Amino acid sequence: MAPPALPQKSPSPSQPSGKGEVADLKIQLRQHAGSRAPGADDAKRELFKKVISYMTIGVDVSSLFSEMVMCSATSDIVLKKMCYLYVGNYAKGNPDLALLTINFLQKDCRDEDPMIRGLALRSLCSLRLANLVEYLVGPLGSGLKDNNSYVRTVAAIGVLKLYHISAATCVDADFPSTLKALLLKDSDAQVVANCLSALQEIWSLEAATSEEASREREALLSKPVIYYLLNRIKEFNEWAQCLVLDLVVKYIPSDSNEIFDIMNLLEDRLQHANGAVVLATIKVFLHLTLSMTDVHQQVYERIKAPLLTLVSSGSQEQSYAVLSHLHLLVMRAPMLFSSDYKHFYCQYNEPSYVKKLKLEMLTAVANESNTYEIVTELCEYAANVDVPIARESIRAVGKIALQQYDVNAIVDRLLQFLEMEKDYVTAETLVLVKDLLRKYPQWSHDCIAVVGNISSKNVQEPKAKAALIWMLGEYSQDMLDAPYILESLIENWDDEHSAEVRLHLLTAILKCFFKRPPETQKALGAALAAGLADSHQDVHDRALFYYRLLQYNVSVAESVVNPPKQAVSVFADTQSSEIKDRIFDEFNSLSVIYQKPSYMFTDKEHRGPFEFSEDLGSLSVGVESADTVSPAQRVEASDNDLLLSTSEKEESRGPSNNGSAYSAPVYDGSSISMAASQTQSVPTFQNQALPAYTPQAILAIDDLLGLGPSVAPAPAAAPPPSPPPLKLNPKAVIDPSTFQRKWGQLSVSLSKEISMGSKGAAALTTPQVLLRHMQGHSIQCIASGGQAPNFKFFFYAQKAEEPAAFYLVECVVNTFSSKAQIKFKAEDQSTNHAFSALFQSALSTLGMS
Amino acid sequence: MISQFFVLSLRGDNIVFRDYRGDVPKGSAEIFFRKVKFWKEDEEEAPPVFEAMPLLVESTHLNWPCGNEDNYCYNCGRDYTDPRDSAALSQVSRRCTGQSLCSAKAWELVLCRAAFGLFNLDGVNYFHVKVAGLLFVSTTRVNVSPSLVLELLQRIARVIKDYLGVLNEDSLRKNFVLVYELLDEVIDFGYVQTTSTELLKSYVFNEPIVVDAARLPSLGPAAMFMQGNKRMPGTAVTKSVVANEPGGRKREEIFVDIIEKISVTFSSSGYILTSEIDGTIQMKSYLTGNPEIRLALNEDLSIGRDGRSIYDYSSSAGGGVVILDDCNFHESVHLDSFDIDRTLTLVPPDGEFPVMNYRMTQEFKPPFRINALIEEAGSFRAEVILKIRADFSSNITANTILVQMPVPKYTNRVSFELEPGAVGNTTDFREANKRIEWGLKKIVGGSEHTLRAKLTFSQEPHANLMKEAGPVSMTFTIPMYNASRLQVRYLQIAKKSKTYNPYRWVRYVTQANSYVARI
Repeated sequence: MAPPALPQKSPSPSQPSGKGEVADLKIQLRQHAGSRAPGADDAKRELFKKVISYMTIGVDVSSLFSEMVMCSATSDIVLKKMCYLYVGNYAKGNPDLALLTINFLQKDCRDEDPMIRGLALRSLCSLRLANLVEYLVGPLGSGLKDNNSYVRTVAAIGVLKLYHISAATCVDADFPSTLKALLLKDSDAQVVANCLSALQEIWSLEAATSEEASREREALLSKPVIYYLLNRIKEFNEWAQCLVLDLVVKYIPSDSNEIFDIMNLLEDRLQHANGAVVLATIKVFLHLTLSMTDVHQQVYERIKAPLLTLVSSGSQEQSYAVLSHLHLLVMRAPMLFSSDYKHFYCQYNEPSYVKKLKLEMLTAVANESNTYEIVTELCEYAANVDVPIARESIRAVGKIALQQYDVNAIVDRLLQFLEMEKDYVTAETLVLVKDLLRKYPQWSHDCIAVVGNISSKNVQEPKAKAALIWMLGEYSQDMLDAPYILESLIENWDDEHSAEVRLHLLTAILKCFFKRPPETQKALGAALAAGLADSHQDVHDRALFYYRLLQYNVSVAESVVNPPKQAVSVFADTQSSEIKDRIFDEFNSLSVIYQKPSYMFTDKEHRGPFEFSEDLGSLSVGVESADTVSPAQRVEASDNDLLLSTSEKEESRGPSNNGSAYSAPVYDGSSISMAASQTQSVPTFQNQALPAYTPQAILAIDDLLGLGPSVAPAPAAAPPPSPPPLKLNPKAVIDPSTFQRKWGQLSVSLSKEISMGSKGAAALTTPQVLLRHMQGHSIQCIASGGQAPNFKFFFYAQKAEEPAAFYLVECVVNTFSSKAQIKFKAEDQSTNHAFSALFQSALSTLGMS
Repeated sequence: MISQFFVLSLRGDNIVFRDYRGDVPKGSAEIFFRKVKFWKEDEEEAPPVFEAMPLLVESTHLNWPCGNEDNYCYNCGRDYTDPRDSAALSQVSRRCTGQSLCSAKAWELVLCRAAFGLFNLDGVNYFHVKVAGLLFVSTTRVNVSPSLVLELLQRIARVIKDYLGVLNEDSLRKNFVLVYELLDEVIDFGYVQTTSTELLKSYVFNEPIVVDAARLPSLGPAAMFMQGNKRMPGTAVTKSVVANEPGGRKREEIFVDIIEKISVTFSSSGYILTSEIDGTIQMKSYLTGNPEIRLALNEDLSIGRDGRSIYDYSSSAGGGVVILDDCNFHESVHLDSFDIDRTLTLVPPDGEFPVMNYRMTQEFKPPFRINALIEEAGSFRAEVILKIRADFSSNITANTILVQMPVPKYTNRVSFELEPGAVGNTTDFREANKRIEWGLKKIVGGSEHTLRAKLTFSQEPHANLMKEAGPVSMTFTIPMYNASRLQVRYLQIAKKSKTYNPYRWVRYVTQANSYVARI
């Protein structure tokens, strides 16, 4: 049954519905269809233009399909192009009519003009119709072999288009291997680039089902391919360079010499005017040097100037994208940027999204030497006409106060804010003063003197009012008229709309009561009565609770409501370090702009090609510190979180790298040998000391997983590994959420540590090695992560015969000690031992083949 | 990779729309425009990159198992495709639980969607840049490099301008078929192919319909969108790279513009708090045969500050040496002899492009000194005195100067008093945002100008009037002046013939980026 025709809608009232016009066009097109008269092409051009313009504004002109096709028999290339555009747009809705176009497109694919061949091939592949794929294979095949590079570039992308219409057709025609051959030998760089784009996409999608594809996908990351592309990097245009650099990021060099070679080769890319090229290069540099602390820090120093230049050149939009990345780096290593604080001053004409980033950066880089100037600058913004930014600035001052040792001067500034008598300034400041007092109770005397002068009538914002009330309760012994202010607030109970404020009011009056009972008793009674009658559930409950508590025992009540307080030493960070590391791993992507990792805003399939370890979103893992690490080392590791802030040490070491942007890069022999000797002498725990992989991060992951507390290891009495009679389903599939659920439900049935043998450990250079190996034994990986020497995997397998029970495995490998810690969970307990034996024997053969 | 590219006018009309991958639900342009227009209540501007959920009701192109191929309710005639009706879905579910008749089909629709897991549709990422009063937009669902997409959008705008000569709504509408030709070659299936004006030439067959640049309103309604654009209006040449001159013969010429944006912040005592120059050497070549060009800069130009803090002013006083903090170059530039004699060698591609971007925080002499004063003058009254002194040579003239200063919120009337004999001055009190504006057509080097403004308040002013007003900000353009003293010593065109002597235009211009004096 065909659905009833929808009323034609125009996307905006200002645009015509176009119904009558479309009918008109139809008639005119018919008139001109067969005409070969001189001037006919010009008339057709005008008609085609009209059609395309309707198409653009959203008027449906699909009813003209057959007329357009009839008119397309022409040698006029402008007409041809417009027709191709039209056909590409509407073919999907008219699969039968689209067949009409095949003929002339196929003919054009054999035209002697390479331009026509390319155009026709592109249009042919853009029809997106499954019923026409049979017509694509021939022209694509000859397109890939065409002697004109333009046709080959079109054909390479054409293969990808075909893959999206019909993957089977594309694979059956063996196009991927043709592309691979072109990738490695074509003389035209753009052909190579398009082959790379197409292959990345095809093999990433294929890898889910085909082992061969995932092998091919990894082969792209092999040394010969990477070096081949890197050596040609200057032949590529700037956009293709970004593509290649994105690939290089995923390459894992075998030693530090290789790392320096790559960096030397790419050094001049940092001077490129295109920000995308520079950021892609920076990502390569940062990721290559992650395990070399000193060099990593040199990289920070090296990239600072180019980043700042990009921020200040180009359009506002471009500088925002770069500034977001600079923001990320500043947040990771604020000490390295502390002398650059003036670059983060706001300019009056900047949009607020830029100012917000800059304020956060100013807050982060503040230290003893620059705080005075930064705070002075921030105070200027506090009087700004842009109220949201003024608020942010005040908050920034407060944050600096909370992170500094010497808060003396800042407290004075904050108190001066209160004298400005601007409502929003007062409101923000009160909230800050409250937090400040929670951290530095010793300042209460100075603050209270000023806060006491503020009339509660001038404070309207709930957060600020709550802060004021909190201070009145907390310091009622020092504020002469605290009970009376609170009393008057209670009298106006019904006018107070915010439940938050009423809750604070209850607590404050009770605290006040414990300190100055005779003056407060009456107000307390009134507050409790009002609270009990309150319609808000929380307020009502709190009032009732206080009432009963007081009834039960006043001194118990005091110890509950007003116990002696400890000063807060650190306010909780809003973002876990694990999340921050994930964002850093996704440098040069939207994750940085949104300040959240990709699994929070993108589907798995859209995370981009080559996303190996991301299958489970929240489930993917960093490097877990093996349990062999002693507690002392753990502490050391987390202290080293601040690793990057030890900049003084670095600066004193000889002339720095970035003296002149034109001197050859100083990743020379001396620094190599230095780094080399470092790699030898430093124990492998060095890796765990990197901020990216702290033990805390792992705890956070386990929480995210909801896996609960880790289970005590079972006795290590392993059954003798006997030839397993168990058969596994080679095509087992489980989706991440099911895995996660099962993992949460099942308890650990077996947990053990086994030795992998040095060969296996040596073979395990990337997580993918093990993934492929285990796949060969019908054991699938659902998530993996880590860097040498620590890797973590989640595997699963399914029994082949009934019941088709799943086995879940968590496996942590340390290649340094060649040990693997394995936790098994099984749905079918009876075969669990058989499976674990099978798993272990599979693991032990890694690197043997 | 990107999914779509489109250009919207300020009213939200599609001028050009190209879908490359077909993976973004329709209606994306409208969703985008609404988002940008109503970003937040507090008048914040939408950032150039954001994510927006496709409205559930818009995923229309799917085949529902219920047999419904559209979002049309058979019973009540309601059309759920309308993206403007964002409340549609909640109404559907409400009505369904209320057992209303209409719901039968609609509810089925909702269930089908739930079955497809479409309630968790992931968002579409929107990128946009504002150029010449137009919104250049791109969408994607992939976690791409934001810099890449924003650069690309800017570059597409530039390529279009190269071809059309003038980029604005009118020229785009007249030439949209040509623009489609370009877009076909610039991006294929979401992957960038080339943005080189030169390479694209062989694929463009439409003749541009050139819009007369002279008749263009200089700013007009597009002004609000021009604000962020650091590119200068007026300097770029309004000539298409493909269109023929009326005379039929192409004129051999090359333009080199040294454009500097300066940012200065003066403290209330007139001391320079921060200063920076962001410069670009922009080139546009109309030379046939693509000859090689040598561009020589100051011989004593030095780059980088040897690791010292770049705000170390004391070190920079050593006469006349131009020290850049950093710079970057267009990929066509060869730097082989740059270290020796500060010469750039390049074969300029067609179209406009930046040869070099540079940044300088070395101390320089600011072109204008600003003196601002606000003091009480009786009850409910105050007087503002603004003084501008032009600190540059008298044979140079600055133009289109605008001085702005926020005044206390409770100001309700302002009367202005200009110097006797002042010409080309405009004064205005912007009541809505409580700001006084003083415009000057031109200022000759060495001259000084004063404005007095008498403010009337609606209430008793606060004790500290200084905190209620300011800072003073200033915008201006100074042709043939550059603050950095970076010079093009010579421009050499390598072509043997003696008769060949193309026009060479080397132009300097300085503009204010953020020029602020605190009071």
